[in-house]
Amino acid sequence: MAGWTRRGVLKAGTAGLTAALAPLPLAAQPRRGGTVTVAINQAPPSIDAQLTSASAARDITLHLYETLYARDENGAPVPDLAQGVTISADGLGYVFALRPGVRFHNGGTMGSADVVASIERYRKLGASANLLNAVDSVQATGPLEVTVKLSRVQSTFIDNLSSPRAPIAIYPAEEASKPAAEFKFIGTGPFKFVEYAPDSHVTLARFDDYTANPNYRKRDGFAGRKEVFIDTAVFRFMPEAGSRLAALQTGQVQIVETVDGPTAKQLQGQAAFAVHKVLPFYLQVAKFNHAQAPCDDVNFRRAVAAALDMDEIMSIAFPDIHELNGGWVFGNSPYYSKAGLDLYNIADPAKAKELLGKSSYKGETLTFMTDNTREDMDTATDIKEQLGRVGVKVELKVADWPTVSKIGFTPTGWHFWAHGFGIEPYEGPATVMSVWANGVSQQKDDPTIDQLFAGYTGEMDQGKRKDIFARFQTHMYENAVAMQLGNYGLFQVAGAKLQNFVPYRIPRLWGVWLEG
Amino acid sequence: MRRFILRRLLSAVPVLALVSLIAFGVIWLVPGDPAAVFLDASATPEQLARIRHQLGLDQPFYLQMLAWYGRILHGDLGQSILLNRGVGPAILERLPVTLSLTGLALVFAVLLGVLAGLLAAMRHRSWADQSLMVLALLGLSVPDFWLGLVLIFVFAVGLGWFPASGYVPLSESLSGWWHSIALPAFTLAAVQVGFIARMTRSAMLEVLHQDFIRTADAKGLPWSVVVTRHGLPNALVPILTVIGIIAGGLLGGAVVVEQVFSLPGVGRLVIGAILSRDFPVIQGGLLFLALIYLLVNLAVDILYAVVDPRVRLE
Repeated sequence: MAGWTRRGVLKAGTAGLTAALAPLPLAAQPRRGGTVTVAINQAPPSIDAQLTSASAARDITLHLYETLYARDENGAPVPDLAQGVTISADGLGYVFALRPGVRFHNGGTMGSADVVASIERYRKLGASANLLNAVDSVQATGPLEVTVKLSRVQSTFIDNLSSPRAPIAIYPAEEASKPAAEFKFIGTGPFKFVEYAPDSHVTLARFDDYTANPNYRKRDGFAGRKEVFIDTAVFRFMPEAGSRLAALQTGQVQIVETVDGPTAKQLQGQAAFAVHKVLPFYLQVAKFNHAQAPCDDVNFRRAVAAALDMDEIMSIAFPDIHELNGGWVFGNSPYYSKAGLDLYNIADPAKAKELLGKSSYKGETLTFMTDNTREDMDTATDIKEQLGRVGVKVELKVADWPTVSKIGFTPTGWHFWAHGFGIEPYEGPATVMSVWANGVSQQKDDPTIDQLFAGYTGEMDQGKRKDIFARFQTHMYENAVAMQLGNYGLFQVAGAKLQNFVPYRIPRLWGVWLEG
Repeated sequence: MRRFILRRLLSAVPVLALVSLIAFGVIWLVPGDPAAVFLDASATPEQLARIRHQLGLDQPFYLQMLAWYGRILHGDLGQSILLNRGVGPAILERLPVTLSLTGLALVFAVLLGVLAGLLAAMRHRSWADQSLMVLALLGLSVPDFWLGLVLIFVFAVGLGWFPASGYVPLSESLSGWWHSIALPAFTLAAVQVGFIARMTRSAMLEVLHQDFIRTADAKGLPWSVVVTRHGLPNALVPILTVIGIIAGGLLGGAVVVEQVFSLPGVGRLVIGAILSRDFPVIQGGLLFLALIYLLVNLAVDILYAVVDPRVRLE
């Protein structure tokens, strides 16, 4: 995307407005009232949006809090609490104009002091505080104006501000200055906090003083117009899939965040339910530990990549909902590229054996680490089988997520590790590249990636950034830095009484209503 | 009796100390990072380090252990890493759910188990005896998570008599509480019914062959009176032993049943803490469950003396 200018923002806003003016069909008249209960798989570690990047938290926090910029339906950043931004010619100064009259759940009105306090809090406590590591200073330069000075050019700064990962939520200044444990869950979102029953549920209520963004006319990703028709939203934590299904069937819940393929098939065609396919939602990746021989050898990595039949892996691990697409961002991203994809899914055992012969692999048994979810274990098992066919011996090491995620960021104890990336390809190239920059995921610095990443974040021209990302993707394939196995998705199910529900990264409860 | 209780309580202290030591040590030997729960797969080491520092996990093992023991001596189980609250309050706010579940399950198990065992003993070698013992064996063999799901689909989805999941506090609504807890309690009780029924049957059969029973029968007492007034009280000691054991089993089973029925109890708290390496909650939860187990066993010991005067406590 070209540099962020006021003109650019206004242009984008006008285009969005025009597209959004289509009226609702007459039959779909919103009806106010009622409670919608969403069954989610896990309890969030926190509902203080800034403190966690856990996906279970996002389901709730993105109803409670808002950010200066937010992602639209295609994952592009658009203004939310900000009216727009003016960027200085040197790319170091960002002046944000704030939307006037935005109310907090505690009755206060959002001003520049709240934004400054929230950003400063995030820099200290935020779960992804590195999103703001280029910030030099944040100042209130007017009642509704905030100026951010960067210490270096960071083309992804607006992307970062709009990240839903661990949102840079705007809190009232008096809340932002409290210790984290005393924070009262007050934001500007269309729902306000009512109750948190530990291990049971979170209840939110419609915020009647919510100031819907006048610059939009329709729902659009995490931004857009957020109109709430229901009275109450309940997020119930239900770890057992059978219980979630039973609760849906008895009408105890109206939305199930995700069901497995067989359940989706069972519910499809039943008038009482609407099954929504959300694809792509994740990208399945198999990592190499470059700090361990023979994974430090490019010929070995390329041999492994050449051996694998991605269709087989994805069909086994995600039989009902996957697509074979080797792009390191999703297909709807403006940065999507086919660069390097001639090396995706080549499934050529002869080529693999040839490369293996040139490599330092000497027949030793290698460790494939995986967490204990069925999909990741199936991925690891099938890769083990396929590698066995070309003569690579692999043993599986299965543990729970906290264990593998601890080992996986150390240089020993593993050679391969497979898991899903969800938010990274959705957020775009910078997030995807950051995973491999400084050798974070492969445990060994890759100067080419570091250079490309630095070039990307320092480049304000979108066209040039696209080229850089294409080069990154080519490098990932040519050097088999890691393997993109394919994309997969999930099935969200809603009761038929729930109207106007459109699936997205979270089950959004604005814009929906219950049939009488 | 008072001295007996005091002595038993004092003897619980080293047991609890041992449990706490094992819990602290074992958990630290298991790899895993609570900071990872706050972040996702692409978290950088810097982000993880920052969260670890915020959570105090960068302190040496011995310092964390000393701090924890210092706190529990003041009755403070510490601060949960993930819940943003104290471990003690976190356990206490979930305790009513677990007590409701295990308490009602115990009532179901004892009533149904003793009744089935009595009937089987009184109709020894009849079709009723055989049928009841087959049912008891079935109850023992069926996994509780499977039985729970079957009951949900029959009684919640099929018949609509009970909600599929969730918990309504007793203070909010008696009827709501009963509806939310009956199915989980029955699921939890099913395995234990089999235990108690089989133990009651064998204890009763042994007693019913004693001379004093023959005498009571010969005196012309109705058989039901012979069984309930003379037989059952004499068979109670082994039955009580089993009840003491199953009370512990119920606490263990509650973990699974709370998960299946989405009940926010102590078991689910501990499981969640284990999966996310929330060390203070794991340690506090284990300590607390060990304490409950010890108290239940103490209660059983006292009941021995109540039902059988031959048992000397001193």
